[in-house]
Amino acid sequence: MPLLEVENLTKRFGGLTAVNGVSFEVNEGEIVGLIGPNGAGKTTLFHLITGILKPDSGTVKFKGEDVTGLDPYKIVNKGIARTFQVVRPFRHLPTIANVMVPCLSPRVKKKIEWLKSPERKALDMLEEVGLSDLMLEPAANVSHGDLKRLEIARALAAEPDLLLLDEPFGGLNPIETDFLIKSIQRFYLDGYTMVIVEHKLYALMKLAKRVIVLHYGEKIAEGSPKEVSKNKKVIEVYMGKVA
Amino acid sequence: MIETLITLLILGAISGAIYALLALGFSLIYGVADVINLAHGALYMLGAYMFYAFVSSFQLESLPALVLAVIFVGFTGMIIYRLFVHPVIEDVLAVLMVTLGVTLMVEQLVRLNFGGGNITVNLLQGSTEIVGVTVTTQQLLAFAVSLSLLAVLWIFIAKSKIGGAMRAVAQDREVAMLVGINTERLYMLTMALSASFAALAGILIAAYTVASPGMWSYPLTMSFAVVVLGGLGSIKGSLVGAFIVGYAEKAVTVLIPQGSYLQGLVALVVMVVVLLVRPAGLFGKRMEIER
Amino acid sequence: MVTTIIRRAYSRFATSVLDIPPRLLAFLFLLLFLFLPITRPSSRILLILISTQIMAIFAVSWDLLVGRSGQFSLGHSLFFGVGAYASALLSKQFFELPLWATIPLSMIICALVALFVGILCRRMRGSYLALVTLALPLILTVAFISLPATIAGGENGISGLPLFFPREFFIERGFNWKEALYQQYLAQYYLTLLVMFVSCYILYRIAYSKTGIILVSILDDEVASKASGINTTKYKLMAFVISGLFAGLAGSLYAHSKISEGTVGPAGTLALTVSFMPVMMTVLGGIGTIYGPILGAYIITILGEYLRVIGEWRLLIYITIVILFIVKWPTGIARYATEKFEDLQEERELEEREKKKKEKK
Repeated sequence: MPLLEVENLTKRFGGLTAVNGVSFEVNEGEIVGLIGPNGAGKTTLFHLITGILKPDSGTVKFKGEDVTGLDPYKIVNKGIARTFQVVRPFRHLPTIANVMVPCLSPRVKKKIEWLKSPERKALDMLEEVGLSDLMLEPAANVSHGDLKRLEIARALAAEPDLLLLDEPFGGLNPIETDFLIKSIQRFYLDGYTMVIVEHKLYALMKLAKRVIVLHYGEKIAEGSPKEVSKNKKVIEVYMGKVA
Repeated sequence: MIETLITLLILGAISGAIYALLALGFSLIYGVADVINLAHGALYMLGAYMFYAFVSSFQLESLPALVLAVIFVGFTGMIIYRLFVHPVIEDVLAVLMVTLGVTLMVEQLVRLNFGGGNITVNLLQGSTEIVGVTVTTQQLLAFAVSLSLLAVLWIFIAKSKIGGAMRAVAQDREVAMLVGINTERLYMLTMALSASFAALAGILIAAYTVASPGMWSYPLTMSFAVVVLGGLGSIKGSLVGAFIVGYAEKAVTVLIPQGSYLQGLVALVVMVVVLLVRPAGLFGKRMEIER
Repeated sequence: MVTTIIRRAYSRFATSVLDIPPRLLAFLFLLLFLFLPITRPSSRILLILISTQIMAIFAVSWDLLVGRSGQFSLGHSLFFGVGAYASALLSKQFFELPLWATIPLSMIICALVALFVGILCRRMRGSYLALVTLALPLILTVAFISLPATIAGGENGISGLPLFFPREFFIERGFNWKEALYQQYLAQYYLTLLVMFVSCYILYRIAYSKTGIILVSILDDEVASKASGINTTKYKLMAFVISGLFAGLAGSLYAHSKISEGTVGPAGTLALTVSFMPVMMTVLGGIGTIYGPILGAYIITILGEYLRVIGEWRLLIYITIVILFIVKWPTGIARYATEKFEDLQEERELEEREKKKKEKK
């Protein structure tokens, strides 16, 4: 049974159809890439899967259970965690407290009950992304690249079965990019299932085993990175029509 | 029965027009500068009291006193904006607190200068009958002035350059600034306009009721009830909302026996209900709220 | 045996209180006010302090709601008023329950009202929430005034309420009439001091606990908090209920203290000025800190009293000063001071590092 099943998801905003009948599956342990030009509906798709927006039609099934349109916090507690394209840290809290928040959710509290304290788990997550020396620094003072890593630490701290990363490489310099590629490869080996939205195709193609391409809210291609990069329609969409 | 309805129709219209004048000022400064001016009621009160001061202490005639009072309060509004609101305009809570503070300040000033009791302000005397309903001349004047001013304002905003600038800023502040509109000056102008309207409404209404240091409270709640009902930021909405609230109030007073004390409640209840059921109001922008 | 226990207790006390500057400060503060009556202050001063102590509870309750969970309440006088009225109705108007029963009961009533309001407002943001909360006490005021006087006392409110430690209590113990009055002030002073200390301590512990972290996460970014698996509505309601509970406590303390002289009316409990008090105190003292509002309460009340000398103009100057504070130091004195303190520490650390570098060379 696939971990995530998205069927015919559609979302309209007034006259604009942001997501139009998108369907795909994600199996356990996979890394699936989600690409497409700006405005293709990738982030909206994430919002629909995680409950931040309610779809106009279509279903989202997670581990066989219909989770369409549930309250976001409930979906997180079922095992889907995400990062945001534009980082959303808790500015008044130090980084460790930022990561502690998901550790205080019902799901995580249950999972770590006798094993470790929320503080310990938060610290572990910070170490996982290499931010432990910024532990007590208020999030408002942290650099953008580190905030991106904080987002990931926070998502990991929610003990997810499915991780949705929305442009995790956005705004990172080459060193940070490299570090993140290695981190994601490590997560893959640890068994995390991931869907990654990304514009930096070089990084994404390295990581994803399967790629889905969206354009104007519709899925126009799906396949291995090689297949997709050779797909005529995809090239047209990114490069423009060859005269 | 028909008599009550006609009374209702006429009184409601008068209330509606005056409320529209008052609420419009409140709506303007919110639409243009994103400022919820809790001192709006205080400016209304200040208008009435300044008029009184000009007439009694300075022995001026009604008309010059009125004009002067309106100008004075318009100017005061600008100063309040510049001194207190401008430094904290980024922070909504701070703006609310500061304008609330200013309101209390103005109330104190009024109490100290004019005493705590009621004051009668007179413009016109006498009354007439319209279709069998007794209406004081003062009320008629208020109605006429409000309507004409509303019309003038409407044309101003729709046609004039400054009106266009206001609409631009109301739609998208950043872009308006990029196009070269001096938002600061525009805010001050809007504030002056808003305050003048409030002051005028204050004089007109006080003229057929009384003025007291606590009189800011009701117009304030009424203004934001109207604006919330009509939709924060919508001029058309404020107009419609004003008449709805005006009629609702009169209906309560006229139809429910001994209902006059409930009048103050209507605006409040309307506002709370709207905020609960449809926060965007009648004509407000509908936002897809992130859950 | 006894000496080891004492020694151990003392060392625990030393490490957990004496070594930590802010806690030490709070402890000294408590000692100061505990022993203040030795100087035999006038009953007027005691009255001022009683008022401050009650207001401090009120302000801290507001800070928990606004500064910690980010729900702008501009009508906190609603809970203050409900607390005061509930206790008044239970102790005089409808029943004649003793105060040690009416006060907890009115707190519970307030908590329920707060729950109701919280549920009402759970989807509202920022200014909308502020406007609704602003309107609620006003609506209640109209309701109370309109209801027949036998129910809610009408415009003048309910009078003749029993006060804490009534004079008779002291006269029975041998004090004369005048001295008994002073003792009453003194007793109320200690009562409110104790309640203030306990309440603020509880609120402090809540704010600086893991629950407090969750509340701040809601304040900072509710969507992100939800995305971390937190049931934000539950915590927002929790904040409302706790806040309302303590605000109601403040209200009922007010109702039965010398400040109200046994009368509870809409003007003194549900008015806009009452709503504005915790706002002023918290903003002055430092929003979100929990100890800031206590500082603010003392400053504002003492300031208010000193300005009384100026006579009629005091309220005006008072409010002007407060507004200036809001404009100049929006985060409050306590935060400003802490930030300055931290800046100084950073400078000192930098200097030391420079020194060490030079020494290495």
